[in-house]
Amino acid sequence: MITNDKKSVAFKTLGCRLNQYETDALVTDFSNAGYELVDYNASPDVVIINTCTVTNQSDTKSRSVISQSARKAKNAVVVVTGCMANNFKEKLESQENITFVVENNRKSSILSLIDAHFSGEIVHPDQLPLDVFRYQPVHKSLHTRSAVKIQDGCDNFCTFCIIPMVRGMAASRPVADVLESVRKTVENGFREIVITGVNIGRYEDGTVRFEELLAMILEVPGDFRVRISSLEPDGFGDDFVKLFSHPKLMPHLHLCLQSGSDKTLLRMRRMYDVAQFRKTVTKFRAVYPHFNFTTDIIVGFPGETDEEFQQTLDAIKEFNFSHIHTFKYSVRKGTRAERLENHLPEKIKTERSLKVRDLSVENKRHYFETFIGQTQDVLIEKISQGTVSGYGEHYIPVHFKLSGAQKNMIKKVKLTGIVGQDDEMYLMGELVD
Amino acid sequence: MMSLMKPDMQMDVSFYKVEEIRHLTDETFSLKLPKARFAFKAGQHISLGIVGGNQSREYSIYSGENDENLELLIKEVDNGYFTPRLRKLKAGSMVEVHGPFGKFGMEPELAASGKFVFIASGTGIAPFRSIVHTYPDIDYRIIHGVRYSKEAYDREEYAGDRYTLCTSRDKGGDYNGRLTGYLKTCKFAPETQFDLCGNSNMIFDALEILKGKGFDRDQIHCEVYF
Ligand SMILES: Cc1cc2nc3c(=O)[nH]c(=O)nc-3n(C[C@H](O)[C@H](O)[C@H](O)COP(=O)(O)OP(=O)(O)OC[C@H]3O[C@@H](n4cnc5c(N)ncnc54)[C@H](O)[C@@H]3O)c2cc1C
Repeated sequence: MITNDKKSVAFKTLGCRLNQYETDALVTDFSNAGYELVDYNASPDVVIINTCTVTNQSDTKSRSVISQSARKAKNAVVVVTGCMANNFKEKLESQENITFVVENNRKSSILSLIDAHFSGEIVHPDQLPLDVFRYQPVHKSLHTRSAVKIQDGCDNFCTFCIIPMVRGMAASRPVADVLESVRKTVENGFREIVITGVNIGRYEDGTVRFEELLAMILEVPGDFRVRISSLEPDGFGDDFVKLFSHPKLMPHLHLCLQSGSDKTLLRMRRMYDVAQFRKTVTKFRAVYPHFNFTTDIIVGFPGETDEEFQQTLDAIKEFNFSHIHTFKYSVRKGTRAERLENHLPEKIKTERSLKVRDLSVENKRHYFETFIGQTQDVLIEKISQGTVSGYGEHYIPVHFKLSGAQKNMIKKVKLTGIVGQDDEMYLMGELVD
Repeated sequence: MMSLMKPDMQMDVSFYKVEEIRHLTDETFSLKLPKARFAFKAGQHISLGIVGGNQSREYSIYSGENDENLELLIKEVDNGYFTPRLRKLKAGSMVEVHGPFGKFGMEPELAASGKFVFIASGTGIAPFRSIVHTYPDIDYRIIHGVRYSKEAYDREEYAGDRYTLCTSRDKGGDYNGRLTGYLKTCKFAPETQFDLCGNSNMIFDALEILKGKGFDRDQIHCEVYF
């Protein structure tokens, strides 16, 4: 029952899967504590903004969400957390429209900060416990899929990347905690879990590495499927490829190539070359011809020549990525790439970015075409006027008609055609009974 | 930046007093600090700051895992921000060290049984000295590319037949010309493990040569400085 003194909370999340998961875990915390979850237009008592700082664009978006939220929710307690809170802590702390700035490694204790605030205690966010894995298994969520965090931080020190500065060094969650979290998340009703972290391929708890952990997760009893969020192409053994024959593990990897030029990859301090990437893709596709690879590409990295960029386009064609997150290189202060020579003009970055986008759309259409006439098990995530949508095993978006549908159902669907353009493209299908 | 990277580090643990500065050439020097207060793998790097400053840079550890001092090899870069400031340090100055970081490090089992070729440009020799100090019996060769023969940092520490100096701007090297020119002439056993360290252009060219000689990319490990 909602009582008069029941407090309300609104969330805004920017950026990666990990951030989304951490918000979902906070939603669970606040909802268990009796807070009402509302939109930030509905005068909440608390607004929590989980920011991102990976590119300049993310900074701009985060800033605009902060000022919008503070404006709309005038009397609310405004909490800013996430990577921007680490990167621009002092600046944000000096802003009057923000009540608390909470760094990533204290994010999991925001509920206790807010509870203390409402009971009149004066607690500074820096007094909150340090723990990047304290999050509860997700119960109440903003999403149909739930992530499980297995790892945080990264110490690869890629020259373009701000993450080691804002997420800290690599740390792995103990195996027992991960498995317990998977069990609870499945018990809480989720049919699909996404294994998440900053650099999950580097998972290491004692002798247990990522592949072994994944094998253990797949053996957790229950009717659920598993996805892997983005992964660094660090070289995978045959055992990793074999794991994908497990019916719970979905045939899709977001494998971050970043560039198709070995020279650029070295300047980025990436740990692989294109031939090694090719080896991985070939290994997978030899066993699972339909396997879906998506990727991240940075265009206009300092010193990227026309020839190097062409190599990226060639790689995109060759590896047939069905989706590409294209990033125009943007300087992150304090990174090594900031000090590299030959930074490129914005115009060139934009031109290159458009070329990658065009190719990405072309690849997507080709990839989708190969599914026409095939069936996919689709997890229903959205329902709108008799049409439902969700993702198939290969992480392809599918729409179909179904009456009496509910979110979180998995339905077998025969794919009949492609609808829409560009990023809005999806497959249409019919229910198979 | 330092404080962002390790906001919760006990300050005193990461502070080191410079014990000695060894001048190796007009531009290159080694910073000798007290023994490392952390365990590291030979080949790894640390992040170095000057106490009171707001910037940090990465440096490979120049000393061995068990050496009495933590030592770094640093070249002052023209128009660089940090190295001219490092250059001004004196014995007694305070620096801040975080780490160790990185996957570029020697595994003890491999050191005992492997055959290694270390390829370095300039101060890129630093991780290899750490490895040789830590594993004096390791089966290795160093190919060191520099401009002038005076840049053969601490050359006397390596057995003569294991160290080849390539000089591109004077005739004082064992090979006069670029390291990559020398590499083309070399023959290596098929099971050799290659470790490359230094600037990305040298590493790119050396990789191409080694791949051209039929070595698998998985046998080659790289540490890029810039
Ligand atoms: C993992 C790692 C380990 C490193 N280890 C060492 C080391 O052991 N010793 C060392 O001297 N440097 C090392 N470096 C480079 C070091 O971090 C700094 O970049 C360097 O000291 C220059 O700093 P700066 O602020 O003076 O110049 P910056 O402003 O950082 O650089 C200016 C330019 O100088 C050039 N440059 C950078 N480093 C060197 C160098 N060593 N020799 C010649 N030109 C250079 C580059 O073109 C760079 O763009 C390492 C870098 C990395 C990523």
